[in-house]
Amino acid sequence: MDFGVIIYGLNLAAIYGLMAIGISILWSSVGMINMAHGATFAVSGYAAWLASAAMKPVIAAAFGKGLIASLATAGVVVGVALAAGALMGVLIYLLAFLPIHDKPNFAVRSLIITLAINIATVQALLFFFGPRNRGLPKIFGFGRFEMFGVSIRYDQAGTILCTAVLLGLVLGWLRHSRKGLEIRAMMQNAEGAALSGVSVRWTALPVMVVTGALAGMAAALLSQTIFVSPTAGAIPLIKGLTIALLGGLGSVPGAVLGALLIGYLEAFTGIIPFLGQRYVMFVQFAFIITVLIIRPRGLGGLLDDTRE
Amino acid sequence: MPETTARTSERPDKKLHKVGRRHHDYRLKPDGPAEWSRVRVPFTRRHWLKWRGVYNPRNLARERILADKMPLWWTLGLGGLVVVTPFLPNPMINVAAIFCMFAAINVLWTLIIGTAGIFSLATLAVVGMAGYAAAAANVYLGLPWPLMFLVGPLVGFAIGGILALPSTRLDGLYYALLTMGVAEICRIFVTQLRALAPMNGSINKVGSFIPEDWFLQREGLLLGFAGAFLLLLAALLVFRLVNSERLGLLLRAAKMSREDEAFSEACGIDFRRARLYVFLISSAALGVCGAFYAMYYRSISPSVFSLDQLLLLFAMMVIGGLGRSEGAVLGAAIVIVIDKGLIELGPLRIILIAAIMLLVTVFAHEGLTGARQQFRNFRNRKKGERRALRTEKGGEVMPEEATEIADKQEIYYRRFNKRLRDELKTFITPELIEEHRQAPLGRHSDTLERVLNFFRRGDMPDKYAILRVDGAWDRFRIMALSGERGAPPRVVDDKEYASLSEAYHAVFLLRVNDLLES
Repeated sequence: MDFGVIIYGLNLAAIYGLMAIGISILWSSVGMINMAHGATFAVSGYAAWLASAAMKPVIAAAFGKGLIASLATAGVVVGVALAAGALMGVLIYLLAFLPIHDKPNFAVRSLIITLAINIATVQALLFFFGPRNRGLPKIFGFGRFEMFGVSIRYDQAGTILCTAVLLGLVLGWLRHSRKGLEIRAMMQNAEGAALSGVSVRWTALPVMVVTGALAGMAAALLSQTIFVSPTAGAIPLIKGLTIALLGGLGSVPGAVLGALLIGYLEAFTGIIPFLGQRYVMFVQFAFIITVLIIRPRGLGGLLDDTRE
Repeated sequence: MPETTARTSERPDKKLHKVGRRHHDYRLKPDGPAEWSRVRVPFTRRHWLKWRGVYNPRNLARERILADKMPLWWTLGLGGLVVVTPFLPNPMINVAAIFCMFAAINVLWTLIIGTAGIFSLATLAVVGMAGYAAAAANVYLGLPWPLMFLVGPLVGFAIGGILALPSTRLDGLYYALLTMGVAEICRIFVTQLRALAPMNGSINKVGSFIPEDWFLQREGLLLGFAGAFLLLLAALLVFRLVNSERLGLLLRAAKMSREDEAFSEACGIDFRRARLYVFLISSAALGVCGAFYAMYYRSISPSVFSLDQLLLLFAMMVIGGLGRSEGAVLGAAIVIVIDKGLIELGPLRIILIAAIMLLVTVFAHEGLTGARQQFRNFRNRKKGERRALRTEKGGEVMPEEATEIADKQEIYYRRFNKRLRDELKTFITPELIEEHRQAPLGRHSDTLERVLNFFRRGDMPDKYAILRVDGAWDRFRIMALSGERGAPPRVVDDKEYASLSEAYHAVFLLRVNDLLES
């Protein structure tokens, strides 16, 4: 057996985990399912592509073609993707949260609005950029290295490392900062948090921004492996949503576990000869359906009950 | 005489406002002796229209009100469609037929989402699988086309049965995810079938109720529209029979929340079984839609299962209003006209649909069909607010309350009391208080006497009493009477007064304070 598949699975798990944790945090703190996460993903990808194309001559003029130049490119790509994701988060906040968060049927209506944002954004991207795929500059460079007898591509290692660092930062922020405390209070009991003086509006905004930035990061990282296209967000969105649900909506450890499971499932389905890439979604959904029938609230799903 | 002229001269300034909460109804005069009679639907005890016979409270004349005007709107809309369609150009006839087909699917989906409350996204999967089965039976087994209408619902029923099994265990989004997974599995299953590989997964040359040489001709399109229209009518009939009859009534008890479910279970309603029945019935009906779909296009392709198509259908329901049949049909009309009628717009039309969806969801609580009721509620609220601004309320009865108080004497007494208090408030001056302080008992000026008389006339709960502290001749305190039999008076504060007249004055000050605050 090829041990590369372990790294490949971890790579996929990292990217899906970024999406799933964003969806999960958003659900548990704000109480909305963000269907526009895929749009955020695609927009960040395009923003990074535009910025890297615009900055290319500038960077070439300033740093030439060395390590610093590639570092600068990486900084531009990641920074712009993060910023674009955060901006999309603000946009979703303004359209899908602020006008209706205190009105009836908020959960369903915000889901519908984010879905509309998703459809409109994908079509707008299609309208402006056309259906062609765009490649982002490889920020981790080409090549492989050997570790424990396993050959690892640079971009895979970079993705796994970046995700681990970013997730660590976000979870640490949730754990140790004042805002994180407020967000966790809202996760436990939104009403109680509001009664003790936590502003729902001012807590939801950073949550949206951070989850948007996570999606942007996922876009920058996944685009190392695949291309940027208007519909690129659909698959990560579906995967993120399924993982968030599989892990139990609102449970961050559940989402991490779900991401690992789904990532490895995808990796292993891909190499089993009689299944192959075409059956990846098939096997995944079959797996998720089985899990949901055994555990109707997902792997770590307890929080849903406490929200009631 | 001068008084009356003064009053009449006041009149034009006074503006009359409508009072009450009921909205305006059109009232018809009943014709002849058949005042209350309503025509029944044959073999049932239902009526075609919901006429109500009422008496006009002013002149006791008999009148009829149409309590539910929805049937009129349905007749107008669907009748208009039937009348207009034969005069349309060919592509528009096609659009009308597609509208009818999708509206039928939407109405049945509304039954699942609205009536049964199951958030299923596998509607198109059921339609597609039934369509595929019916088409395959026709093409590969040589089944004549009328029997496709039998195969479709059977397959739909079977798939509905499989899908319904986990629906009682999972809730909301988890079930939605599961059904989305099923749709994806169906799509992959169909595209991977070896037998269909040469045609890219689609089945072509399906037999149909449209003769082959009429296909895509004007006659064929008109026939297709007629069939689709009948399909829509049948779907609406199914909706009516399920939603407004026994199953719908049972489910309405368990609709809103978990508490309602527990409550209805305690009442002996087996809502899970009712949900299952609704799901199975609408799945079978969706199977009919699937067979019709295959026949209308004379082929069926894996694009039935695509997520985009599903989202488009969802957009229709959302724009019209989730959970109402009229919403499903209206939304289908809007979205189909934009999507199929304005093809030259390109990808812009999807953006347009998304924008409509967004606007409707932000501003309307329950889609376009709920907008009227929402506006009515909004207007009533604003009316109430404005009325509250006009009327300063100080114990006086508000016009809304006035319609609901049976003893009108009460209303006038409270109004009189309010006016009296308003007048007395103007009398309270430092000089008046000083006058009372100097002589709490004895002869007073006219204004002070009026104020004191008002105080004397007051209700028991408003009054105070003077308490002599135990064992002391010259220590008094003030108590407030409770006005309730058995409930003792309570001491107002710790203040003690050295003489009785001081205590009298303290009571007076308290009463004045109460009056000014009222």
